[in-house]
Amino acid sequence: MKIDPATLKKIKRFQSIKRGYYSLIAISLFIVLSLFAELFINSRALLVRYDGRYYFPTYGEMIPGRVFGFDYDYETNYRELQKRFREAPSDDWALMPLVPYNPYENDLRQDDYPPFPPSFTEKHFLGTDTIGRDILSRLLYGFRTAILFSLALLFATYGVGISLGCLMGYLGGRFDLVFQRVIEIWTNVPVLYVIIIISSILVPNAMILLLIMAFFGWTSITWIMRTATYKEKTREYVLALKALGASDARIIFKHILPNTLSIIVTFAPFALSSGIVALTSLDYLGFGLPAPTPSWGELLQQGWSNMDAWWIASAVISAMILTLLTVTFVGEAVREAFDPKLFTTYE
Amino acid sequence: MNAPIPPQNPPLLSVIDLKMHFPVRGGVLKKTKGTIYALDGISFTVREGETLGIVGESGCGKTTAGRTILRLYPPTSGSVIFEGKDLARIPKKILRETRRRMQMIFQDPFESLDARQTVYEILEEPFLIHGMGNPTERKEKIHQLLDTVGLQKSAASLFPHEFSGGQRQRIGIARAIALNPRLIVCDEPVSALDVSIQSQILNLLIELQRERGLSYLFISHNLAVVKYMSESIIVMYLGKIVEHAPAELIYQNPVHPYTQALISAIPVPDPTRKRRRALLSGDLPSPRNPPAGCRFHTRCPLVLDQCRREEPLLRCHEGDPDRRVACHRSTEGIKIW
Repeated sequence: MKIDPATLKKIKRFQSIKRGYYSLIAISLFIVLSLFAELFINSRALLVRYDGRYYFPTYGEMIPGRVFGFDYDYETNYRELQKRFREAPSDDWALMPLVPYNPYENDLRQDDYPPFPPSFTEKHFLGTDTIGRDILSRLLYGFRTAILFSLALLFATYGVGISLGCLMGYLGGRFDLVFQRVIEIWTNVPVLYVIIIISSILVPNAMILLLIMAFFGWTSITWIMRTATYKEKTREYVLALKALGASDARIIFKHILPNTLSIIVTFAPFALSSGIVALTSLDYLGFGLPAPTPSWGELLQQGWSNMDAWWIASAVISAMILTLLTVTFVGEAVREAFDPKLFTTYE
Repeated sequence: MNAPIPPQNPPLLSVIDLKMHFPVRGGVLKKTKGTIYALDGISFTVREGETLGIVGESGCGKTTAGRTILRLYPPTSGSVIFEGKDLARIPKKILRETRRRMQMIFQDPFESLDARQTVYEILEEPFLIHGMGNPTERKEKIHQLLDTVGLQKSAASLFPHEFSGGQRQRIGIARAIALNPRLIVCDEPVSALDVSIQSQILNLLIELQRERGLSYLFISHNLAVVKYMSESIIVMYLGKIVEHAPAELIYQNPVHPYTQALISAIPVPDPTRKRRRALLSGDLPSPRNPPAGCRFHTRCPLVLDQCRREEPLLRCHEGDPDRRVACHRSTEGIKIW
């Protein structure tokens, strides 16, 4: 397939907006990094050599301590294992990730209470939270949760919004009229309150939360898509296709949708960042994802109530700012690159 | 009212009392608040291999006429008999199949092409829509089409915006003739083009007609262009036909005062020649609220009381079956210039 020159021009223009372009690279890198977070931040070793055999504990089944000569059947403590190998020199060794803590474990010590401040020797690079969990670990896994959640939300709302908006614009008439009114009512429902009410009745898991938020989040893109389709539908090339006998499905999928794509793409980064913000605020209020899930909102809440442990709040706030700024830069650049005013010429 | 058909080519398209009224909607519940009488009862016949021209100023309903005849708009009432079948009533499936044999050329050759498709994809679309041919056959057909309309084979891989207006219109024509239609509605096909390009496109259309025996319904606001293309001409005013006559006659001896005014307004490329012009005053009344009686009476210099009350019917003029006029005073032979 040949990319049409208008799109090519838009992509070129996007690349020329350096701030947005590098932000896109950065955010994609973060996302890829977070998808493979287990390789960087994990309590399981990357590679263990023991008795001439190699083990890769990162992905796959839990390996009980007995395998490595401990006297317990629960999961091996690889930090202990590494320490043991170091103290008694042998051919055996264990390679630990950069941060050897997973986001759920409490690293507690004798004679002291968490939160512990950042420490390079303990490899808690950003310190621990109030129950001794590594903050960097929770930040990265929390980022993964937030971004995957937002992406899923984006796909859900866009799926509904694009199909419904497209139908409204294309079919027009009574169908359009009814849904216009439905959307007008829908948009006046205070979404966060409804979610809070629902969450206080049942404890939501990620799926339920996603469904609730998608249930109220589809309206804006539907509105946008309806307008875009309406505009596209009245253009003469659609008439020409109808004169050729093209089916409605063909006109919509092969012609109208590709022609409205740039509008949809323009709104995506902003939808993504608003998804992150919504999830974080819900988690902050305690109505979001259930308790042990690593989440930024929960960290923010901890930071707020433990201001003396400055590393908690400052870490999560910096991470929030960095992420939202990056996504917004991308969105801004996309909007500028796709601005139709730059390409519409009267002839 | 319909003239008996002389022993000429058989009719391909008969339009009988075709009406297209658009509702005007408003308010929260989109109630109908009024009606635009875009097309208010037109009848005519297009014979095989012939060109019928439709002229009139903007807003007279000529574009609506073209689109309603191709059933791009569902007509309010009346019939469009094409190949013996009433397009206004046949089921969708048969209509889709029939569309192969009736096509349209549009005014704006950029708007009427999907800017995201290459010329190849644009021209492949008709065959894909009707599931015709395999890829190699289609490729050959597309190259033939490009050759027919005078474009290079290499044009296939380019996008519409890489062409000039005239070349784009050639692409539009290639698409229209792709499925070997019998009737093509040309809706202002040259109005958006430079004067120097217009004649090239018109000649291409004439050449195609000669080779393929096409019938054209040629819609334009430009009388000179319509005359160049057509055997007979229909003059429209506010959704009605006011005069229908062979092209030569309408020039030499226009009967309806509106036709006379149109013809006297054609520029003549001779600065020394002095002419009297019949200038019309006022604007075209709104088709939402057309005047009672004769629709032209608000601007007609020959207006009588009768014109304000009674709508004139489209009748044969002086017994000539090829000439039809809708004017109360047509028999008086008055010229307004």
